[in-house]
Amino acid sequence: MATRSACQLLQRRYASTAAAMRPPAADIRRQRNAVFSREQARQRALYPRIEKIEVSMQGPGLDGTLLIMNKGMSTPLSCARHLTEYHVTNSALALVDGEVWPLHKPLTHSCSLSLLTFKDDDPTLVNQAYWRSCAALLGQVIETAFKDDYTVELLSTAEVPVTSGAFCCDVVLDHQLDSWTPSEESLRSLTRGALQLIHQDLAWEPLEVAPPVALEVFSHSSYKREEVERKAAQNPKGTVTLYRCGDHVLLSGGPLVARTGLCSQYEVTALHSLAQGDWGLHRRAQGLSLPLQLQAHHTVWRKLRRRAEKLVEVPQTEEKIPSSIPDSPPPPTSQ
Amino acid sequence: MRLTLQMLISHGRVARRMGLNPRSRIDMLRNILTGLVRHERIETTLARADEVRFYAEKLVDYAKKGDTDEKAMKMASFWLTEKDLVPKLFKVLAPRFETQSNGYTRMARLPNRQNLDRAKMAVLEYKGNPYPALYPVKKENELTLINQLLKGYREDRAQQLAAKS
Repeated sequence: MATRSACQLLQRRYASTAAAMRPPAADIRRQRNAVFSREQARQRALYPRIEKIEVSMQGPGLDGTLLIMNKGMSTPLSCARHLTEYHVTNSALALVDGEVWPLHKPLTHSCSLSLLTFKDDDPTLVNQAYWRSCAALLGQVIETAFKDDYTVELLSTAEVPVTSGAFCCDVVLDHQLDSWTPSEESLRSLTRGALQLIHQDLAWEPLEVAPPVALEVFSHSSYKREEVERKAAQNPKGTVTLYRCGDHVLLSGGPLVARTGLCSQYEVTALHSLAQGDWGLHRRAQGLSLPLQLQAHHTVWRKLRRRAEKLVEVPQTEEKIPSSIPDSPPPPTSQ
Repeated sequence: MRLTLQMLISHGRVARRMGLNPRSRIDMLRNILTGLVRHERIETTLARADEVRFYAEKLVDYAKKGDTDEKAMKMASFWLTEKDLVPKLFKVLAPRFETQSNGYTRMARLPNRQNLDRAKMAVLEYKGNPYPALYPVKKENELTLINQLLKGYREDRAQQLAAKS
């Protein structure tokens, strides 16, 4: 009894010190999820009556296929479900009237649709989206891997071309962890976390929202709010795209692939420390992954893996981040 | 007319013996070769396909000499029992294989025949015919994810080696 009450007391005390800074991570996640679900329900309610649209499929063996789908409700994935299992499992991204369209985003008008896979004649778009999704997955793993006492801030990462050998994700860990250098075991545990997510086969649900909603989603993180404003300013429509994977809501620079189950080989290869930034010590997590349809022999994988351990140089980010950081200090002071 | 290792070992029986007599063998092969030139892909027993393959290649070699050559014309009119195929041989097949010096035909094994004799079957074709490919075409795509990764890896290696030397 005495120990239990002492434990409770300690827990309460820890909780209260943490809460002074920032609510626990689980609460943040729940709040983000709740806002995301609310907005998703609102957008679905925009189409109360079922209206039909005509989707003409394009692709090998599909020319002339016309599907009658529901407006604002059917996604490219539901079109694929009308075709064959091959289309459901292998398509990673869709092309709607020549525009890249995530597989889980509802169709809003009659259009021509083609499903993209990793083995197309020109899979460049899919490769980029896959690399971006792997980086997003890495961010999700890192955010959930640490104990509640440590805060983790995901920074926006510039796009890395596939030929650079590894996808990367910039993070700022809690300042208590500045002296921490990750061992091989900790990288392996991160890999295991990612593989668990892959095994769960979670969908990346896209949602295009106006900036106020995105600001509400990321109300606990001042860095994310600036990123939302920056992205909204860059986008001609003035909206930002949020993605949800499991219970993790993230902000994406471009379309992601359909689900985590598309990855097969996945490994977190390195966690490099970069320079000291305004938000703390910048670290760059790197990883290597290959989809289920294109697996590598273990000798090839080992070579690629060894290359992925080297720090990826992102020349564009070095120019981009300094330009954004001078903008960043004013908002915290104004609040 | 092919010497295989097995036939060499078999003490003097150096050639396949088919047909009733040598004349009948030549007639049979002539008919098969005519069919091959007409349809460009035929299905026969393995032994016959293998036997006729030699003559099919040789015939193209003669056809490449041109239709003014006396020997080539003689060969074509002997081996093609249907004479309307002679122009096809000189006008279609000879120009098609101008760039290569041998290996004009392709042979692939088929499942054994389902009637009583269960003979080994094969398909024989002239290359470059308009039919669908016999084997699945192996797609080489430089742009797939893994090939792009390997391309980056090779470039890295080349840079390292250049820096070392």
